[in-house]
Amino acid sequence: MEYKEVTTSIDGAWNFSKWEWKFESIALIGRTFEAMKEHKLLGNKCPDCGTVYFLPKPFCRCLGMPDEFVEVKDTGTITTYTVTGAWGYEGITEEEGAQGEPLIFAGVQFDGADTKVVCVVEDVEPEKVGVGMRVKLKWPDKLEGAITDLSRCTPL
Amino acid sequence: MDKEVAIVGYAQTPYVADFNESREMMVLQATRAVLENAGIKREELDTIVTANNDYLDGRTISNMRLVEPAGSWRKNESKVEMDGAFAMLYAVTRILSGDHDIALVLGESQASVYAGILPGIMMLDPTFDRQRWLLNEVSAAALQASAYMDASGVSEDQISGVAAKNLDNASRNPVAMRSIAGADAKKVKASRPLYSPITELMMAPQCDGACALVLASGKAAARFEKPVWIKGLGFAHDSYLTERPLDTMSSLKMAADSCYSQAGIEDASSQVDLAEVYERFAHEELMAYEALGFCEPMKGGAFFDSGATKMDGKLPVNASGGALGANVECAAGLARVIEAAMQIRGEAGDHQVQGVKTAVAHGQSGICAQENMVYVLGGE
Amino acid sequence: MGKHHDVAVVGVGLSKHVSKRRDVNMPELVWEAVSACYEDAGLKPKDVDAFATGNMPAFEGVNLPEEWGAGHWGAYGKPVLRITTGGTTGGSVAHGGYYLVASGLYDTVMAIAFEKQSDGNQTFGLNTVALADAAAQFKMGVDPGFIAAFGGGAVGVAVYQASSYMKSSGCTTHHLDMVSALCRNNAALNPYSHLKQPGLTPEQVAETTLLQYPIRFGHVCPSTDGACAMLFTTPEKAKKLTDKPAYVLSVSSCSDEAALVGIAGSGTTNVDPCEQESCKIAAARAYELAGIKDPRNEFDLAEPYAPFAHQMLMFYERLLLCDEGEAPSILDSGSMNLDGELPVCPSGGVISTNAIGASAMERIAECAVQIMGKGGERQVNKEVHKAVAHGWGGAVNLNVVAVLADTPRG
Repeated sequence: MEYKEVTTSIDGAWNFSKWEWKFESIALIGRTFEAMKEHKLLGNKCPDCGTVYFLPKPFCRCLGMPDEFVEVKDTGTITTYTVTGAWGYEGITEEEGAQGEPLIFAGVQFDGADTKVVCVVEDVEPEKVGVGMRVKLKWPDKLEGAITDLSRCTPL
Repeated sequence: MDKEVAIVGYAQTPYVADFNESREMMVLQATRAVLENAGIKREELDTIVTANNDYLDGRTISNMRLVEPAGSWRKNESKVEMDGAFAMLYAVTRILSGDHDIALVLGESQASVYAGILPGIMMLDPTFDRQRWLLNEVSAAALQASAYMDASGVSEDQISGVAAKNLDNASRNPVAMRSIAGADAKKVKASRPLYSPITELMMAPQCDGACALVLASGKAAARFEKPVWIKGLGFAHDSYLTERPLDTMSSLKMAADSCYSQAGIEDASSQVDLAEVYERFAHEELMAYEALGFCEPMKGGAFFDSGATKMDGKLPVNASGGALGANVECAAGLARVIEAAMQIRGEAGDHQVQGVKTAVAHGQSGICAQENMVYVLGGE
Repeated sequence: MGKHHDVAVVGVGLSKHVSKRRDVNMPELVWEAVSACYEDAGLKPKDVDAFATGNMPAFEGVNLPEEWGAGHWGAYGKPVLRITTGGTTGGSVAHGGYYLVASGLYDTVMAIAFEKQSDGNQTFGLNTVALADAAAQFKMGVDPGFIAAFGGGAVGVAVYQASSYMKSSGCTTHHLDMVSALCRNNAALNPYSHLKQPGLTPEQVAETTLLQYPIRFGHVCPSTDGACAMLFTTPEKAKKLTDKPAYVLSVSSCSDEAALVGIAGSGTTNVDPCEQESCKIAAARAYELAGIKDPRNEFDLAEPYAPFAHQMLMFYERLLLCDEGEAPSILDSGSMNLDGELPVCPSGGVISTNAIGASAMERIAECAVQIMGKGGERQVNKEVHKAVAHGWGGAVNLNVVAVLADTPRG
C-alpha cells in the first residue's frame, strides 16, 4: 500500500489560553498615567547608563534597573509612521471601507526620552506626514488614566 | 576532552512556587548574579545561549523578551528549546569551534505562569495520543514506573525511599523549594496518589526559577579561580514514547557511554565521587543508577538499599535534593550541573560532600526522559 | 579558544513547498526534505552523528515536535539539539549544525528546519508573539481593536520599518514593486519555491491591494508548508563524497531589543525598526571570522531574508554590501538580477516562499546549492566563490548571518 495515498487530514483545536503572565511595567506605566493628571509625562532612567525609557521599563539593556522617574516633554519627533489600509486583526480585508477612515500611526520619540511610543497623528494629510516631523501631544479634556490618554498627537 | 572548556561561574535564583516577579526580572537577577560570581562584566561575554520553551512562556519566540535581561543586547545569542543542560552543550560547541571564548548559559521558566501539565500534553502525537487525553507527563511516568518495577523487582518502598532521601537532602539546600527534614519512605508512600504507583511526593514539583553559568575556553579559563573542567559529555535521543520499551533508559545509557569514553571512565561506580541526576519522578533516579553504570542493570533498588547514594555513602546522588526538591522546567538539568560544580569547588555549604573530585551531572528533556544529556566534571 | 574545525556542506534537501500540504503530516513533510538531503549527499542515517532541528511551534500546536518525529528522520540514539529563535530559526538551526561540526565533537551533522503553517492559523501564530502584551494592554483598559490596528502581526511592524527605510534611503514604492517582480520571476525557475509568477512586472505588483502604507499585497510573503535539511561534515569526509562541496566559513548572530509596537514594557519601540544595527554587527563579525575584508566586492551572491519587499534593499545595505541609501540605485542598475554582478535571492527569496521556521535555512541552503553548481535553471551564470546568507526575526530584533565559500577557512 502506498501510504501517501491514504493519509487522512483530521481537524483539531488547541488551546493557548491558560497562561498568567506577570508584568512590572503595568505598575510603572500606571504611575505615568497618574502623573498625566498633573500634565506631566514621566519616564524612568537607568542609574548605570542613563538611558531614559518612555514609557517606563523595569530593566535596561545594560543589565541595570531603572529606578528614577524623570519628566519628558510633550513635544517629540516622528521616527517612523504608517497609514492604515486593508490590514486588520484577522488578516487582509478586501471589503471596501471596512477599516473606516485611514489613520496615521507614528513612532514618536518625546523630547528627553531615548525610546519611542506609537501614537495616532491627527490634523494632517497622510501625504504630508513624514519621518522627522515635529509633533505635540494632544492632551485630552478628560483623562481616563489609561494609555488612550497618550494616543493622539498633532503637528507642531 | 582535557582542559578545553571550564565552568567558571554559576548562580541560581531561589526556586519557589511563585517568584512574584516577571520572567524578565527573574532572569535579570540570575544574569547579574552569575556575572558577579564569575567576576566578569557583560561586555566580556562572547555568546549567550538560553534555554526556555514557547509553550511554557505562552509566547512565541520565548527568548525574544530575554535579550536585555540575559545580557545579550547586541550580542551573539541563541536559544535551545530543551533543558539548560542541552543549551550548555550548544555553548560548549560554540567555544570548541574557536569562534568564542566566554559563554553564558541560562535556563528558566515559571510554573506559576503556565498551566501545569498542558505544555506536556502538547508534546504528544497530535493525531492519536493527544486526542484521547489519557496520556500526560504524569500518567506516562506511571506507566514507565510500573514497567520498570515489573522488570526489575523494585518495590514502591524503594521508590519512596529515593524520594525521602532527596527531600531530606533538600532541607540542607537553601534554594530548594520543597524539603522534608528527616523524611521517611512511609510518609512519601502515604502522600496523595496521582497515578499509581506515583504519589505526590514522588513527583518533582514544578516551580519558578532561573539558573545560569559561565563557560570559558581553556585559554580564557586561566584567569578564573577554581575552574571546573568538562571532562566528557554525551547526548542521546530516544524514540517516541509509545515506540520504545519504558523499563530502561536506553538513551541515557548511550549518552553515558559516549560521555565516559571521552572522560576516560571505565568503571563509573568506583571513579565517580558524586552524581546529580535530573529525576522528574523518584523511580527515574533508580533507573538512572543503572543507565549511568553505577550498578548492574535492574539492580537499582539493591544499589539504593546499600546506602551508597546517601549523603555519606560512597557515591552520593542528588545531595542537593535533586529535582524532587525543585523542578524548574528548562533549568533543573542545568541546576544539576551547577550543583555538581559547586561540590567540586567545595562551595555547597550545608550539603557539601567531602572530597569530590569527579562528578556526573545529568539533564533530560521530553516525556519519560526521551532525551538525555550526561556530563563528567572534574577539578584541577 | 578551541581549535576550529572546518565545516563543509555536502547535501541539501527541500520538500515541495505549497500553501497547504494536506497529503502529509508534519514528520512526513520533514521526511521529504530529509530523504532528499540523504540522497543528495549519498549518505545514510547511520552516517550521521548528530542532528539539529527547529521550527516555530506555535504554528502547528506541537511542543517539541522532534520528540514525535525525529525517530522517523534517523535520529534514534543520537543527539538531537532543538534550536528555535522565531523567524531566524532556520538560520539558527543551520548555525547549530555548523557549530556541532566546527567543535570537533561530531563529524557529520544534519540540520533540519520546517514549518507546516497550514496545521494552524497563521495570523494567530504570529500574534502569539504579542499575546501577553495584548493581555497587558487589555488590563490597562485599551480597546483590543486599537491594539490590533497598532500591531497587526508581522505586517504591522514591517510597515513602520518600510516607511522609515524609505525616508532614509530614497527608496520609492516603485522599488518595492521591482523587488517583488525580481523575486517572483526567480522563483519561477526554482522547483521548490511556492509563489511562481513568471513574467510578473512591477506595474502588476503596484496594482495589488494596499494593506497598510507603503506595503501592498504583492510586497508580502505567502504562508507556506515546507521543510529544508542540510548535511554538514568535515572537509576530509566531504572530499570523499563530492568533487565540489560548499564550505561554511563563519556564522554569526546578533540580538537587539525587541521592537514591538507594544506598550507592555518588555517591548516598546526602542529601536528604529529600519536601523537594524544588529544585522550590521552580525555581518561584521561573520566577515571578520571568514576573513572577508571587502564585502562589497568579494561576494558573488547574496540571500538576504526579505519577507517584505523593502527588506531586500534594507538588508542589502545592512549586510554591508553597499553604502546606506545606495541599494535602490543598485537595484535600478540591474546588478541584483540573476545575471547581474551580485545577484540576490536566485531562489526567489522569502517573498516567494515562506515556511517560517525553514526560511532562514533555505537562504543558507541556496548559497550552498549555487556554490555546488546544483541550481539548475536558476543557477547564476558565473562561478560562485563566496556567498552570504541572512536571516531575520523576533520582534524586528534578531539577525543571523552565514558566509559560505567554495574553499574552507583554512
